[in-house]
Amino acid sequence: MKASLIQAIQLILSADAQLLNILSVTAQMSLKSSVIALLLGLPIGIWLGACKFPGRNVLLIANRTLMGMPPVICGLLFYMLFSGVGPFRHMKLLFTVDIMVMAQIVLITPIVVSSMESYVSAVAPAVRETARGLGLSGGKTFRLLCNECMYQIISAYLLAFSRAIAEVGAVSMVGGAIAWKTNVMTTAIMQYTNQGNFTLGVALGIILLTVSLLVNIVISLLQRRLSQ
Amino acid sequence: MIIPAFSKTYDAVTVLDFPGMELKRGKICAVIGANGSGKSTFAKILGGILPPDRKFDCLDAGAIGYMPQKNYAFRMSTKKNILLNGKDERCADELMDALQIRHLENKRGDRLSGGETARMALARLMMKRYELVILDEPTAAMDMEATLLAERLILRYVRQSGCALVLVTHSLQQARRIADEVMYFHKGKLLEFGATEQLLSNPSLPETRQFLEFYGV
Repeated sequence: MKASLIQAIQLILSADAQLLNILSVTAQMSLKSSVIALLLGLPIGIWLGACKFPGRNVLLIANRTLMGMPPVICGLLFYMLFSGVGPFRHMKLLFTVDIMVMAQIVLITPIVVSSMESYVSAVAPAVRETARGLGLSGGKTFRLLCNECMYQIISAYLLAFSRAIAEVGAVSMVGGAIAWKTNVMTTAIMQYTNQGNFTLGVALGIILLTVSLLVNIVISLLQRRLSQ
Repeated sequence: MIIPAFSKTYDAVTVLDFPGMELKRGKICAVIGANGSGKSTFAKILGGILPPDRKFDCLDAGAIGYMPQKNYAFRMSTKKNILLNGKDERCADELMDALQIRHLENKRGDRLSGGETARMALARLMMKRYELVILDEPTAAMDMEATLLAERLILRYVRQSGCALVLVTHSLQQARRIADEVMYFHKGKLLEFGATEQLLSNPSLPETRQFLEFYGV
């Protein structure tokens, strides 16, 4: 184990081409999917948190259900839709980074929605009451609300990114973990461990844990800033 | 200024039944009553925060200023919080001086104490001239010194702007100090209305008398 660890560190420091490719595909997939999930989830989360309307509870339950959806189910769904017998087969997206991004968006958008909804629903009534009491316009009230949510938006994004980078079930099903094409850190760890190549697996594990650690440090710093 | 009749019902229970009345411009009307008597519901409906059972037209939303019981301070400096309601920096400085919160101008709003937040919120509201102002227990979180400063500012604002001001308060002493008229709410109904001294010294209804006796008037 000690030898594997030393070799893994040497591999990271040597900037191995295969390792760099895996990191590049992972970064591409995680950044794209988390940014798109944020852009989709942010307005929905703010809308659900700030407004009361018939059917809101149904949407909240649907969102919670999507949050709890097992990634393999999501992967299976996309596989069926885009495989040779699926309705979207002509798009030829199966085993590409694009479909991995799409599957990730379905998995992580509900996380952004939930994170924003719970925060906004706590803050919005007071913001709205204050703004209405002062006679401020709807646009200014919305800008103030967004300003109040700034740290939460960053926190929701980091949460989405950390989920995206650590996901394995859906991306392995729709991406196929093809070397030099769709292999990301998590799928590569599984693949190389199964092949007995622990060095690359450990190296990827170290990087994944480091990224996760950094993201969590940023989130906790933001949370501390929020509570102060 | 005519305030039309309105009511508020929750789950078939009428919590407020207001018969309508005339508010005088340039005067302060205090709203008194026990907890749950409908004072805050009245203030919220008048301030446009809560919808009444049937919509009524009184004034444009921009002509009404409302300060809630629990004030919200945005995550920005105290001065920026005040300047949310107007761009006149000199006016903001004067208001901060009047309420003795000038030393807090750079402190973040969400880090102010309850009393400081209330003073900031009062200054913020008074950045603009409204036709009707509703203050829901504006000095509840303030100490006596800050309360007197706030009362002085309220009187000055009413005199200068000529607005009608509705002051929801638990303090009968405060009503006596600054209000021209008093409304007494009891179980969601406006029971008695009259000039401050008249109502507080010589109420016409036994319920009002009982309430005032309980508060030691």
